[in-house]
Parts: sequence; structure tokens; C-alpha cells
Amino acid sequence: MTTTLERETRPIQPKRVNEIRVMVGGQGGDGTLTVISLLARCLKLIGLHTYDARNVLSRIRGGHADGVLRGSVNRVLCSGDALDALVAFDEEAVEVGSPLLEADGVVIFDSSRGPLKKQLPPRVQVYQSKLSDLAGTQLKKTLLKNTISFAILSRALGLKQELVERVVKERYQRKGGEVLEGNMAALQIGFRLADEIGVAAHYSMPEGAENDSLQVVGDEAIGIGFIVGGGRFYAGYPITPASEVLDYLSVNLPKFGGAAVQAEDEISAINMAIGAAVAGVRSMTATSGPGQDLMTEGLGQAAEAEIPVVIVDVQRSGPSTGMPTKHEQSDLNHVVFAGHGDFPRLVIAPADVTDCFYLTVDALNLAEKYQMPVFILIDQALAQNSQSVPPFDLSKVRVERGKLLSQTELDSLPVYKRYEFSSDGVSRRTIPGMSGGFSQITGNEHNEWGMVSVNTENREKMMRKRMLKAELAKTEMPRGRFYGSPDAKIGFVSFGSNVGPILEAMDILATKNVPTKFLLVRSLHPLHEDELVQFLDSVDTAFVVECNLSGQLAGLIRREVGFANKIFGINRFDGHSFRPSEIAQRVLEELGPKTGGNSRNA
Amino acid sequence: MPETFPVATPIWCPGCGDFGVLAALKKALAELRIPPKDTIIVGGIGCSGHIHNDIQVYGYHSLHGRLLTTATAVKLANPRLTVIAAGGDGDGYAIGGNHFLHALRRNPSIVYLVMNNGTYGLTKGQPSPTAQIGFEGTKEIPFEPVLMALSLRSSTFVARGFSGNQTQLVRLIKEAIEHESQGKGFAFLDVLSPCVTYNDTYAEWRKAVVDLNADPDFDNTNRSKSFQHILETIVSGRIPTGLLYRGEGASFERNVLLPGSEPMALQDISPEKNLESYKKLLRKFA
Repeated sequence: MTTTLERETRPIQPKRVNEIRVMVGGQGGDGTLTVISLLARCLKLIGLHTYDARNVLSRIRGGHADGVLRGSVNRVLCSGDALDALVAFDEEAVEVGSPLLEADGVVIFDSSRGPLKKQLPPRVQVYQSKLSDLAGTQLKKTLLKNTISFAILSRALGLKQELVERVVKERYQRKGGEVLEGNMAALQIGFRLADEIGVAAHYSMPEGAENDSLQVVGDEAIGIGFIVGGGRFYAGYPITPASEVLDYLSVNLPKFGGAAVQAEDEISAINMAIGAAVAGVRSMTATSGPGQDLMTEGLGQAAEAEIPVVIVDVQRSGPSTGMPTKHEQSDLNHVVFAGHGDFPRLVIAPADVTDCFYLTVDALNLAEKYQMPVFILIDQALAQNSQSVPPFDLSKVRVERGKLLSQTELDSLPVYKRYEFSSDGVSRRTIPGMSGGFSQITGNEHNEWGMVSVNTENREKMMRKRMLKAELAKTEMPRGRFYGSPDAKIGFVSFGSNVGPILEAMDILATKNVPTKFLLVRSLHPLHEDELVQFLDSVDTAFVVECNLSGQLAGLIRREVGFANKIFGINRFDGHSFRPSEIAQRVLEELGPKTGGNSRNA
Repeated sequence: MPETFPVATPIWCPGCGDFGVLAALKKALAELRIPPKDTIIVGGIGCSGHIHNDIQVYGYHSLHGRLLTTATAVKLANPRLTVIAAGGDGDGYAIGGNHFLHALRRNPSIVYLVMNNGTYGLTKGQPSPTAQIGFEGTKEIPFEPVLMALSLRSSTFVARGFSGNQTQLVRLIKEAIEHESQGKGFAFLDVLSPCVTYNDTYAEWRKAVVDLNADPDFDNTNRSKSFQHILETIVSGRIPTGLLYRGEGASFERNVLLPGSEPMALQDISPEKNLESYKKLLRKFA
């Protein structure tokens, strides 16, 4: 047996924990994310909630890649600050993961390319063995090192062997044959190895019944919301980190008589979405920054021609090609301001996977009721990290088609004008195929009939008609969420996936006697000024937390409601999400010199 | 029946080739008895892109160059509609060139009428990709749309007409619409439609056009022979017209849509309707 055990095994008592945090790291193609998803399944089956995050490069194979899984008795919305266990397939993964390890953490290291060189703190337990070599010699497939490592990991985490076997079996059942047998054999090799090298159960997690949560990533939740909300046509061009929307809908829309088309570029994608909408179908496209740039002309078309279309922008590090797989929140200005001319649009910002589902349904309804483009703005972390969420409540889903006429309603009209002026700016809509509903739909300025017009009086009325719709739609836009102590004088304002780290930073700050509160903004355009004004009025300092350099949300708030003297930016733009501790630290640093300590918050 | 938009008067200059295209299109639609309520014209940007205002059917004025991608989606949304995309050569072969390629590749059942005059009339006469060498000083070799269409193995209908030959043009438009209506795929019809103001090619084109369907040696069911015949005709200084190629292949909508499903534009999308299937979607993540 090619096993080395570097350190003497100490008698270890399993630590009772309510939460476990694990990183699996190696090179792209090592199957690190597979280990994460197997573990996520195990934890769900014993009743825990999970959150997983991935850190990959824009290449198919090679380069450092890791996944982090956090399991907890509570719902979690970020990967937190620290790690309990690290599975490392190479030295680089130890470099990346070990700084986050708890003092008594566990490392499982594949020593096929030599024993671990990195010096780790004394109480860290290292289990190392030549996992790849073992998989190669015994199973003729080095990749199965990941399943071997999973068996060892499960021991260290104190998971029951039957549970682990069940999960691996279920996962590979469908593939069957060699794949199933190989993985089951790898598990047994892993368990034997764990016995040989004396892997102890370091942790003991509360075991309950399987919970009814769904484990979903934001992109998929948007896909589900789209179908359930009546969406039937999707067009998109592959782009990280939005491709999961295309992948999900390509598989699932056809089951509902719909279609997901992979367009030749994003220009085509948005115009296809527009075409399907003109024909009467609820349609959507999703992309990331570079594709959003290409869609900009189509955005104005949808607004001017009053076509309901939903556009999902999954933000990644920009500008240009930027860092394609990395997190950022720097398209906010783009979706709020992009396009030549003045026109209405709505921008909704889901903050968690549950929001991704319900707000996609809302976006479809708003687009159709107000006949305009609606953005769903999310970020890489929300799009691609999986969260445990309560099952989506289908009974809450409503499909509201606004002023889309039925044939009977149309028949009763003496005159039908596509762009008829009305008190709410919304005109009745017909679709091709209806008798008596002929219309001209155009991105040129037009009169009520849809005929091209440069009449000055008509122009002013049409501009105001379109803009009025956004003002009215605002009343139906998702409100913000408030967290924390109402009396706190220190506030956070943020959007998107920052909700997770901010809520935990608030817990950290509370332990340091800094009470805080938090306004999570979920409508970025139009902004609900009232909730911002009320919140900003009530605090001395508002930290606007966002993953971009220039402070785009802070800028928007200053522009719309002011309060420049109270706003401090906490910004990160290195391609990663915030960690709770760094937010707490930044707040303490900011408050320290200004207040001479935390006295004013006491 | 409600009163709907008044048909517009064309914006074109007197003598514009597009009048001939409009007349032939109206005649073809009438003769085929295509119900106007089931017809949508997707116009491009440019002089030709106003044609949808001039017929009492549904009309959509697309973004410049994007009419094909828009029209493709209209067809997928409701295959029962007769979908006619109509635009110019700058719109289709320059700014929209990529979509032309992919429409040929996908083969959606839509008619694509290109009013080809070699120039950008609305912006006052710049050369388009099909401009003849020397027009406004251009030295670029003109784009040959029919050869490009033929060169994609997926193309199923390639034709060229001349607005100065109504009989032939009406016949070609009717054949294109029939190809579309029967769900056979992308019916591409390039129409020589001179711009009398900036690039008046009437006399030149009248002399150069040759109806290949009148040539007993021309076989429009054989892609490679047709390609060679057309190329030789062009090299000899003539302009090939007629139904240049007709083939068979699955249409885009047939490849993409679930067979026998209700057109998505007409589906009942209320949540109650599909509740059980929606629950199944959720179970996948449980």
C-alpha cells in the first residue's frame, strides 16, 4: 500500500457542530465540484441546509479550481469566513485553502506527486495518501481519486457509510455499468484507506430527517420561474455565467411546447425574444456584460415599440472580456442607463435563489402589463452557487397578461389602435392571427396607429405615454427588505448576493456591540426613493456594499435621493464575493477613528 | 370588425423599383388567398423597409439588419402565420449578414424578400455590398447573395427576380410563399429593384438579366450544377434570375418544436393548466 501518514494520529473526539465548511480544490477537470455536490446531497439527506460556491477559471481543464460547501442547521447565503476541512488534490489547493482553515481543521491531501510541503499549524490534522495513483492502479481511472477522497472526507465529517454509499449510488445509477461500478469500488477503496490511515471522525453534525429544501442555483431558479410564469420562448448565446439558463431551458422548455434557441450572437438573441413577444409569447433572453453590450440597441427597440421582453444580466468581472468566470456587480449602471434616447425600463435585483424564482414570474408579469423591457440583474455568485431554499410555492404564481385582448374583446371595439393614448400609458395589444387587430409595431416614433410620425405634438405625447408606464409600474416593483435593529445608527445598503455576507457581518458586529441595520434594495430602476430616504434619514452612517470599484449603487443613491455625506462605500472588485469578516472589519475601521471607538453605538 | 390602421402611401421616389415589388407581393398574396389576419410582414430599415406600412396585414418594423432573426422567432412562436421578411441589401447583406448566414443554416419557413439596389438610398447613395465596381468609387467585388445561399447545404429555396419583370416576380413570390406556407423552409428571393435616384440600373439590368428557368439546360434541383451555371452566367456579365434552386430539408420549426404542439403564441399559460408538470420540475431539485 502506497500510503504515508505524516503525523501521529491523536485520539480525537468528534466536535459537535451545527455547521460544517469544506473546500475541495485541485486542477480544473479533477472533479472537485463532483465531491462538493455529493457532499451537498448527503447533508440535505440528514436535514442540513447547504450553500456551495465555485471558484473556477475560464478554461475547460487545468488551472486551480475549487468548490466550497457549507452545511448548516440554518439557512446560509454565503460561504462564510473559514473552513473546517480541505480536500486538496495538489499543493496549490493547500496554498489557496489553508489560510482559511480553522486551527483544528482537517486536510485530506493527494500525495501522488509527493508529500505535502506546506507547513500547516500544529493542530491541523493532515491525512495524506497517493489517491490518484491508487485510483490509477486499482481502478484504471485516476479521476476516481475524487470518489476515494469523498469516502475519506465522509469519515472525517462523521457521516454514516450507508448514507454515503446511497448518495453515490443514486448519482451514478442512471449512467450504470462501469461508471456506477467504478465509483462504488472507489468508495470502498476510500473507506479501507481511511481505516488504514486511521481517519477519525472529527465532527458530529446533528442528524435529522431529510429536509424538503430544493438545492438550486440562481440561473436555474430563473429558468424554473420563467417556465412556471408562462414563458415559452427563450433565446440566448452561450456566455459564462449565464449559460446555465440556456442549458436549463434547452432541456425543459420543449416539454411545454416552447423553445430555447441558441442564437448566433446576443444581437440575434434579443431580437428573437422580441420577435416571439410580438407574436404573443412570453419571452426572455439571458446574458452577461459583453452580451448585454450587444443587446443595447434591442433594449431601446423593445421600449420604443412597447414590446414585453425580459432580459437577464448575470454580472461578471468586466469590462470587455474581463475575468469571465469571476464575480462582480458592475453592470448596474449599464442596465439602468444603457441605450440612446430616453426610454422606460424596469430593473429588478433578486438577492437569493428564492427571489430568482418569484421575481422572474414578477418580471414576466410586469413586462407584459407595462409592455416594456424588464431586466433581472443578478451576479455570478447568485447565478452559479447553489442554495438550499424552501420549495417554491406554485400556488403563489399568477400570470397577469395586462391589456392583451381576447378576440371577443377586440370584436367589441369600434377602432383598434396599437399605441392608443390612455390614462395609464398602456395601450391594448393584439397578436398576429387575430381578426381586426392589425397593427404596425415599430421602433420609429409613431402615431397611435403605429405609423411613422415626426409630428411634434405626437412626439411629446408618445414620449410621456411611455415614461408614464415606468412610474406606474414602480408601484408593483419589489420592495426592499429590512434587517437588523430599527434603532441602529449604522446601516448597510446593498443588493444581490451581498445579502449573505452582510447578514453575517451584522452578527459579528453585534458581538462587538455595534448594532446595525440593513436595507436590501431589490428594485434598482425605478428606485423606491421612499424606502431609501426613510432608511438613510434614520442612520448616521450608511455603508453601501457592492462588488465594483466605482460605487455604482452608491452613485445611483446619491443621484436619486442624496445623503452623500452619510454614504461610505465598501467595495470589492478582485473577482470574489465578500466575506462576512471583511465587511465587519471595514466597518470597524471606518467607525474607529471617526468616533473614537464604538461608543456612539453603545 | 374594428377599424385599423390606414394603409400608408409608399415613401419611395417615383419610378423606384420597390413599387414593382409591392405590387407583385400584393398580387401574390391575393392570388394565393392568404388571409391578411394570418400574415405578418417584418420590415427592415431603409427605403424598402417601409413596405409593411403599405399592405393591410400585421407589420413589424425591425431594427436595422435584424429582420431575419426577428422573423425566425415569429415563425417559431406561431407557425400558422405567413411570415414575410422584407428589407434591403444593406440591411440584409451588410449589417445583417451574419443573420442571413444563420437563417440559411437554420431553414425557418419564412419568405425573405430583398429589394436589392446596390446602394443606401435613405442615407443618400453610399455603396452597399452588392454595388457594382466603380459605383461611388467602390473597388470591392460585389457580394453574390444567391451564390452564398446556394453554398449552404441547408438552403431549400433560392431565387432572384427583377422588379422590371412583374410576371416573373409574381410567380417567384407565389412560389416563395408556397414554400413558406407548406413549412418547407427558408424561401430566399433577391429582387433587383433599382434606385432611380442614386443608382439607376434599370437599363443596365434590363439588358443583363437572364431567366435561367427558360434555359432547358438549367437544372434547379441540382445544387452544384446550379451553382456552376449561375457563377458562369455572372462571370459572363449577365445576371441570373428565376427560381435558381429548390431542395428539401427539415425546417427550423420542425426541428425545434414538439411535433403536434399548440403554437406557443396560442397556448394557455395559466399556472393551473400545467401544475402537475411544474411540480415535476421542482422535484428534480429536491
